[in-house]
Amino acid sequence: MGDIFTNLGLGFGVVFQFVQWTPAFLGGISIPIPVNILLCLIGALVGTLVGVLPGIGTIATVAMLLPITFGLPPVGALIMLAGIYYGAQYGGSTTSILVNIPGEAGSVVTALDGFQMAKRGRAGPALAIAAIGSFFAGCVATVLIALLGAPLTRIALAFGPAEYFSLMVLGLIFAVVLAKGSVLKAIAMIVLGLLLSMVGSDIETGASRMAFNIPELADGLGFATLAMGLFGFAEIIRNLDAGGETDRKLVQEKVSGLMPTRRDLKETTPAILRGTVLGSILGILPGGGAVIASFAAYTLEKKVAKDPSKFGHGEIRGVAAPESANNAAAQTSFIPLLTLGIPPNAVMALMVGAMTIHGIVPGPQVMQKQPDLVWGMIASMWVGNLMLLIINLPLVGIWVRLLRVPYRLMFPSIVVFCCIGIYSVNNAPTDVMIAGAFGLVGYWLIKHDFEPAPLLLGMVLGPLMEENLRRALLISRGDWSVFLTRPLSAVLMAIAAALLILAVLPSLRKKRDEVFVESEN
Amino acid sequence: MNATPGHAPVKSIMPNWVRNPQEFVGGIALMAIAVFALWASSDLQGMRGFSFGAGTAPRMFGFLLLGLGALITVVGVVTEGPHLAKYHWRGPFFVTIAILTFAFTIRPMGMIFAAMAAFLIAACGSPETRWKETLIVAVCLTTFCSLLFPYALGLPLQLLPTFLIR
Repeated sequence: MGDIFTNLGLGFGVVFQFVQWTPAFLGGISIPIPVNILLCLIGALVGTLVGVLPGIGTIATVAMLLPITFGLPPVGALIMLAGIYYGAQYGGSTTSILVNIPGEAGSVVTALDGFQMAKRGRAGPALAIAAIGSFFAGCVATVLIALLGAPLTRIALAFGPAEYFSLMVLGLIFAVVLAKGSVLKAIAMIVLGLLLSMVGSDIETGASRMAFNIPELADGLGFATLAMGLFGFAEIIRNLDAGGETDRKLVQEKVSGLMPTRRDLKETTPAILRGTVLGSILGILPGGGAVIASFAAYTLEKKVAKDPSKFGHGEIRGVAAPESANNAAAQTSFIPLLTLGIPPNAVMALMVGAMTIHGIVPGPQVMQKQPDLVWGMIASMWVGNLMLLIINLPLVGIWVRLLRVPYRLMFPSIVVFCCIGIYSVNNAPTDVMIAGAFGLVGYWLIKHDFEPAPLLLGMVLGPLMEENLRRALLISRGDWSVFLTRPLSAVLMAIAAALLILAVLPSLRKKRDEVFVESEN
Repeated sequence: MNATPGHAPVKSIMPNWVRNPQEFVGGIALMAIAVFALWASSDLQGMRGFSFGAGTAPRMFGFLLLGLGALITVVGVVTEGPHLAKYHWRGPFFVTIAILTFAFTIRPMGMIFAAMAAFLIAACGSPETRWKETLIVAVCLTTFCSLLFPYALGLPLQLLPTFLIR
């Protein structure tokens, strides 16, 4: 127990670090500046700013804003990215509540009751309860991460290559089962991502693979490049299809009366608690994350409610529960990343990309070698949530005004911003072209109902999976049964197989689809 | 993987036995990518005894994708499904041109020119664009980016055309 306090103390120490700033114009007087808190604050603000733009989801926001963290030291960069992530999520909920345009699947549920509340002039309480629920969930999740981090790391250190490989297979299967749409297509997207990750030079032999002697491909496809193409550019192109302005119903009336009533609070407290518990659990599971958590929390609320018919007509619990679950899951999904080095979803995959750019290989070693980084990030999560609560509520008016910016002006700005961002990663014009190509690929994928998120996950896990597979087989001298004879690995594989069978079984498929369809009607 | 098809052939008249064109075309495209990847990695070394060669993993995933693509194609034949979604050319075309323009001009012309050009070309992608406000926003955004990236973020970006600097 003492361990946890020491660790959290270390984390908060990092977050509240002051740097003495001695500007020349003040004549030698130095001012202490809480750099990391400022970075977290800026991240949360910028994240909300971009996340609030209609049609831009969390993944696209994080991908787009990645480059602005490149110039920072690793700890600061990751703290800022975490801030961006929470900001983007909160921004997404704001858009869903106010204009009924969820930026991504996770906030679809929030739009159901949130927009109905906004229509009845209760946008303020809806936004407030979303922030309060998120903050509470964030507090719980932070403690949970601190509690589980160290023991999970110890388990992770006992993992051999075979176990790692099996765990990644399990994670990918989870991602498939919990994703929306066809299981088959999701698996195909993962494999396509794995295949794309093979481009470049082989880790062991150094042989150039599928690079066609193009020097820019020799190092492999850039992760940030791919993400910005698939999510940034593809989203823009798709939104242009939709006709931009025509389907944007804006809430014209002023958002007034922010504070929820005492009755609201009393009603939502159990909902927030349930959402937090559900979200925390689903977030830890590999492949889980924010999307499924909010769907599940909404469904649960509807099940336990005395009068479920109120849901979908502006029921405040229908906003509180999924928002809490969403945030809890967003945070606990850092656990597999920080302890095992395995990103459980596409946003965490982006985090891995960012860490790699800073020369950090996520995994159990980071926990031991760079505790300041890990615990600083965990502490910054709590601070980030607090920032969202105290900054965003007063700023709701500004976000609303931002929503009125017409898409015809917004989309060229995003194109330019993305271009500069991609270019600045390596100072390579080719990267910009590759991202453009993947923008078209992403557009095509959307048109054919393929989800790009599993592709991204496959792309990040590809090198890790190959390495561990190779090592496992080398140690077992080419014996493939090693994955089934080592007990831990066998258990993981068995769970993966069972999940896959369950997902394909018609009865469960129907149930799973119900959860998603329900939210769409 | 530049050969990844950006657009699969969009035919309004699919053969009658294709009941789910979206999946059918998607599956075939995936198979094409898989075949391409298998061809591209055919020169790599395979298994050496029980240790992996450079080409083992790409081939493994290539065959896996080929199989999955085939399965999706079959699903496209045996199940009922939506028709191919309509493609619009204007948005994708101008956004792509804008991106390419940026890529080709950033080195010789610097960021100010590249950003302005990309903004204005991308703006052609929407029929709702009004030129006066677009120009104003373009200038503001370029100014903002010219301050943000090289100065606030300290990234090494060249602002002015090369011929002006020399």
